[in-house]
Amino acid sequence: MISRASTRGRSGALLAAPVVLVLALSPFLGAQQTDRAKRLGQRMMCVCGCNQILTACNHVGCTYSHGMLKELDGRIARGDSDEVILQSFVQEYGPTVVVDPPKTGFTGLVWLVPIVAPLLALYLVWELVRRWRQRATPAPAAEPSLPRELLDRARREAGPQTDE
Amino acid sequence: MPYVGVTLAGVQIFFLTLNNFVTSPFRVFGGADPSGALHVARLSDGSGLNPLLQYYEMVIHPPILYLGYTGFTVPFAFAMAALLGRYPGEKWIHITRRWTMVAWCFQTVGILLGAHWAYAVLGWGGYWAWDPVENAALLPWITGTAFLHSVMMQEKRGMMKVWNVWLVFVTFMLCILGTSLTRTGVVSSVHAFAESSIGSWFFTFLGVVFLVCLAAWWKNRDYLRSDNQLDSLVSRESSFLFNNLILLAACFAVLWGTLFPVLSEAVTGNKISVGPPFFNRVNVPIALFLLFLTGVGPLLAWRKTSYDALRRNFAWPLVGGIAAGVLALALGFRDFYPLVCLILSVFVTLTILAEFYRGGRVIASRDGTNILTAVGELTMRNTRRYGGYVIHFGMVLIFIGISGSAFNQDQQKEMSVGDALSLGPYTILCQNFDQPSTANYTSDRATLEVFRDGKSQMMLYPEHRTYLASQVSETIVAVESTPLRDLYVVYAGHSPETGRPVIHAYLNPLVKWIWFGGIVVVLGTGLAMFPNRSSALVLRTATEKTWGENRSPQAATASAPFLQRTGHD
Repeated sequence: MISRASTRGRSGALLAAPVVLVLALSPFLGAQQTDRAKRLGQRMMCVCGCNQILTACNHVGCTYSHGMLKELDGRIARGDSDEVILQSFVQEYGPTVVVDPPKTGFTGLVWLVPIVAPLLALYLVWELVRRWRQRATPAPAAEPSLPRELLDRARREAGPQTDE
Repeated sequence: MPYVGVTLAGVQIFFLTLNNFVTSPFRVFGGADPSGALHVARLSDGSGLNPLLQYYEMVIHPPILYLGYTGFTVPFAFAMAALLGRYPGEKWIHITRRWTMVAWCFQTVGILLGAHWAYAVLGWGGYWAWDPVENAALLPWITGTAFLHSVMMQEKRGMMKVWNVWLVFVTFMLCILGTSLTRTGVVSSVHAFAESSIGSWFFTFLGVVFLVCLAAWWKNRDYLRSDNQLDSLVSRESSFLFNNLILLAACFAVLWGTLFPVLSEAVTGNKISVGPPFFNRVNVPIALFLLFLTGVGPLLAWRKTSYDALRRNFAWPLVGGIAAGVLALALGFRDFYPLVCLILSVFVTLTILAEFYRGGRVIASRDGTNILTAVGELTMRNTRRYGGYVIHFGMVLIFIGISGSAFNQDQQKEMSVGDALSLGPYTILCQNFDQPSTANYTSDRATLEVFRDGKSQMMLYPEHRTYLASQVSETIVAVESTPLRDLYVVYAGHSPETGRPVIHAYLNPLVKWIWFGGIVVVLGTGLAMFPNRSSALVLRTATEKTWGENRSPQAATASAPFLQRTGHD
């Protein structure tokens, strides 16, 4: 037998768990603000073939990332806008330098399909479930098993005693 | 099942052909001169192992991932055999359940070891970059997870037979696709060291496998009719259905993003990059919905769940989750996804704990034992179900660990001896630079003292090594890992302008939860594969029964309840 007090104690321990978790994360709430170079660097890929974000590529001996980051700093110091900087990098290194594919034209499909496909799949599942449930409903008998006169008489007699 | 042997042999013949005739691992390096004579390239001791792979986890990461990939061949072979032979019932599923779980477990461990290697060796401060080869390992893991869930629908209700067969087929094909992405270099990756020119072989094999699967299914599709229909949308069946839908959506999104650069180049002639932000934007909401289903699904009843049962099972976990969210908001949490992840993690954890507690309480009150003994007894009576809950809890820990990345901080600085770098609560003071060397490499090493609140806490020694044989450099990261945060310090090289060493420090919260969650997942999988205690009693009873006629009727009656399997999912 479990006493109510001990049950409350365990419930309290269970409810304390989220508090501990939140407190564990709270020292990180004051995360630093990234500067503009870091933010822009995260919108570009290193073109050395490592397939990493520009600011994340720290391959020792990478012949691209250091120069690209210096160039980025230089353009920011010159006062270029974000879009101008991105376009200049595309001109220089090709379209693979941009992390996010453009949302227009053929490359827009990369964004569109992962949204449309699950919705389509959801619709198909919904349709499947609907069909299953329809099949699960028993079909009414084609002919009543009792003579029609007998059924009519039973309905008349039961009518006053039953609600619609 | 002769078809099983044929299928396994077919797969084996393909790989043995590759190894023996196409890309032998014992190939001689060199070439023919104009006269046709073969000149063997001679290196006294070779170039050594790729420096990136000179790390102890690399001894076990590839074979473990390999076991995951190859393990999925067994359920594939049994599914194919059941279909071709039109074997009745779900016998192939019972036979392959442990095989599937073992393969899935190895795949999980292989992926996590790869992530840990990337974290400890590549030195960019993270563990998952959505690299095409990482994605290739994730894809069969996702479909394998979907199969492990949907297979229960077939076992319990005789439903989703076509779906299950195709999930196994797709999982196997994704294993082959993953291998081909790693080995062919179709997409650019940090794993380029494994590239060779065997792409056409792999894609031909993949095409043949797909056609065989399609033909086998088409010819025998009438054998796969469902025995039952869905009775209610609020039921275990529908939760599995949605769980599978979400997992397949995630799988498709990852596959789509991975292969889109190739598709774009084929259609428009321009190769583009699909980087981590795409995968994060698409997959994070999907993963969170999956986390929600992880909490909801196991507590719904088969066929139909009543309102009372819903209220009974979900009220307190829901209150706990919302309370955690309110508390987090009060403490200043403003990032949407980590907040949702926190709420759902608490919700799922409480549903799991409540499930153990409810079952344990019944046994405790009946047997007069304490609750912990009762929970142990409960778990051992239905290892599959409660092992599954342990796996779910491990996944919750992994989700919490991943959500910590929203709070990552980093600082980079050119440093000389005596310089300091501040990051979060830490101050890193540069004490010394030296150049230790071994027969294998020379190294630039920093000696850093870490202070917290003015008190010295630890010494860290990040390195930047150059391997002599290959003349390739790499970083050796210094990580101080605690359950709350990792202080991760990289010797990033030297500034080209000043020649001074560059130190890059990261503060990554909760990373350890990911590795610990992985261990919990492995333990849960082991538990789920363990035979039920009641099954052992069934065996014992059956053995006693066959031993003779001398058992008393009372003894037979006493053991009768054990003849009924109590295990359920």
